[in-house]
Amino acid sequence: MEEKVLEILEEYCEEALDYTGENMMEEGVIDSFTVINIVSELEDVFDIEVDAKYVVAENFRNKEAIIDLVKRLLDE
Amino acid sequence: MQLLSSGFVILWVICFALYYLVPEKWQWMVLAVASCLFYVIGTGGFPAGLLLTGAGAYACGIYLKRSLLSQGQALASCADKEKKKTVKQGFERRRKRVQILYFVFSLGILLFTKYITVMPLGVSFYTLTAIGYVVDVGREQCEAQDNFLKFLLYLAYFPAITQGPFHRYGKLQGEFERPHVFDYERMLFGVQRFVWGAFKKLVIADRINLFVGNVFGGGGDAVPGSIYAVAVVLYMLQLYADFSGYMDMALGVSETFDIILPENFKRPYFSRSVAEFWRRWHVTLGMWFKDYVMFSFVMSSPGRKIGKNAKKRWPKLGKYATGIIGTMLVWLMTGAWHGRTVSYLLWGVYYGVIMCVSLVLEQQYVRWRERLHIKEGKFYALFCMARTWVIVFLADVLIRSESLSQAGEIYRSLLMDFRLREGIFGVTSYGLSKYGFLLLFAACLLWFAVSVLEEQGKDVRRVLAARPMLVRWGCYYGVVLLLIITGIYGGSYDTAAFLYQSF
Repeated sequence: MEEKVLEILEEYCEEALDYTGENMMEEGVIDSFTVINIVSELEDVFDIEVDAKYVVAENFRNKEAIIDLVKRLLDE
Repeated sequence: MQLLSSGFVILWVICFALYYLVPEKWQWMVLAVASCLFYVIGTGGFPAGLLLTGAGAYACGIYLKRSLLSQGQALASCADKEKKKTVKQGFERRRKRVQILYFVFSLGILLFTKYITVMPLGVSFYTLTAIGYVVDVGREQCEAQDNFLKFLLYLAYFPAITQGPFHRYGKLQGEFERPHVFDYERMLFGVQRFVWGAFKKLVIADRINLFVGNVFGGGGDAVPGSIYAVAVVLYMLQLYADFSGYMDMALGVSETFDIILPENFKRPYFSRSVAEFWRRWHVTLGMWFKDYVMFSFVMSSPGRKIGKNAKKRWPKLGKYATGIIGTMLVWLMTGAWHGRTVSYLLWGVYYGVIMCVSLVLEQQYVRWRERLHIKEGKFYALFCMARTWVIVFLADVLIRSESLSQAGEIYRSLLMDFRLREGIFGVTSYGLSKYGFLLLFAACLLWFAVSVLEEQGKDVRRVLAARPMLVRWGCYYGVVLLLIITGIYGGSYDTAAFLYQSF
């Protein structure tokens, strides 16, 4: 699962893979357009539905947070 | 009541003294009373719009909280997964209906007061803040407030109510709830920030207005394109100095109460792209639109449907469809929020189109740069900054012009009637003398130096605090003296009217 998420990140935002900080969205590493594309791809690949309430800076602060989000949604 | 008025300073001082004198559990009440006084004195009447919007959001929050509790209990008693899903969807549907009802209600009040009657103080700010609260409670990002007075304080906190910044309930409520102990350095920093904001407003923004006001409102005389060019560049600085000056004052006042408000400006004119510019300019409004409009639309059933259909139809470009619609929606709303004229809508469309085109072509730009062997260095960064300035310049012509026809006339003059020589010799005949320009230049230089330090991650107040006493106080007195001697006070121009207040 993690590998697939990283592959998606590599396709849409390579910088996110090297990012080690705590707020990708506020620091401009990942813009809202890219977030939308990543979410759409995650939904298709993992057959999950990402509600708007999950699309917040906290869940996209770095690649680990995105992986955690997918894990949580898969467990739901 | 304006932030730059003796009445406000008196209110601030009394509130400050009481705030640290009363027991910590009552501190929020002092702020609530001060906010109430600020609003009632400021509007000179009964705050009907604020109370209606606030009461609606409060009631909606309580309903959502109870619904979430009931949902939890109902789900706990369900064993079957499918049944759980059905129960959850039922609750969610009802909550969504109540939220939509509230959005219609509060936006109705906003539109009615903004476009039909006299606009109440801070109506745009408290309406969007209240809507944000209702969405956050529904998304379980914060718990609803049970105390109506505490909720009203959140909505009408006096340093922020007129122009923001937009705060999130989850964060600001935590600030109000925690105990606050007097701290001399914090008080000093807060006052310094307030004075710095006043400096930007009175010495820079209001001085620029003397020139810009004359150029744009000058009547029938044909103004050379070169004068318009100077006026638009100065207007870009005026808007920034005015609005960020207000923010410095609001954040400074709040800092003296140990309440930290979010930053609204991050030196936008250092941006290398328009997208970056809008991540640094009016940050909290941008975040509001992104979180509550764009993502809500994209993740909604119609948004998903559009996205899926577009992907099927155009496999390569379809993935951009929802993002493009979401971006355009946000920018149309941003334009409408800023003003009620066609110029503002065009301004919104202009930025929306630029954002969409640049995002769709982002990969292409990288390829072109590689083909042209352009390396990312200092010169390229400067070029990108200049490009951002030009894009903002063209947009600001639209919103500063008195009418669309004047905007058209300015674009024409810039391209076909520049008259550089006339501009150079005539620049001082538009309300700002040679010495006025020199003073403005010196003040902007100081502002630029502070911005460069901030851009390097330094807090100028801390840098100064670490200097020897003579240097430190020399700087403090220097700025205060400059403010007193060179600030634009009185006369025909209303010094206290902040530009963004009208939005």
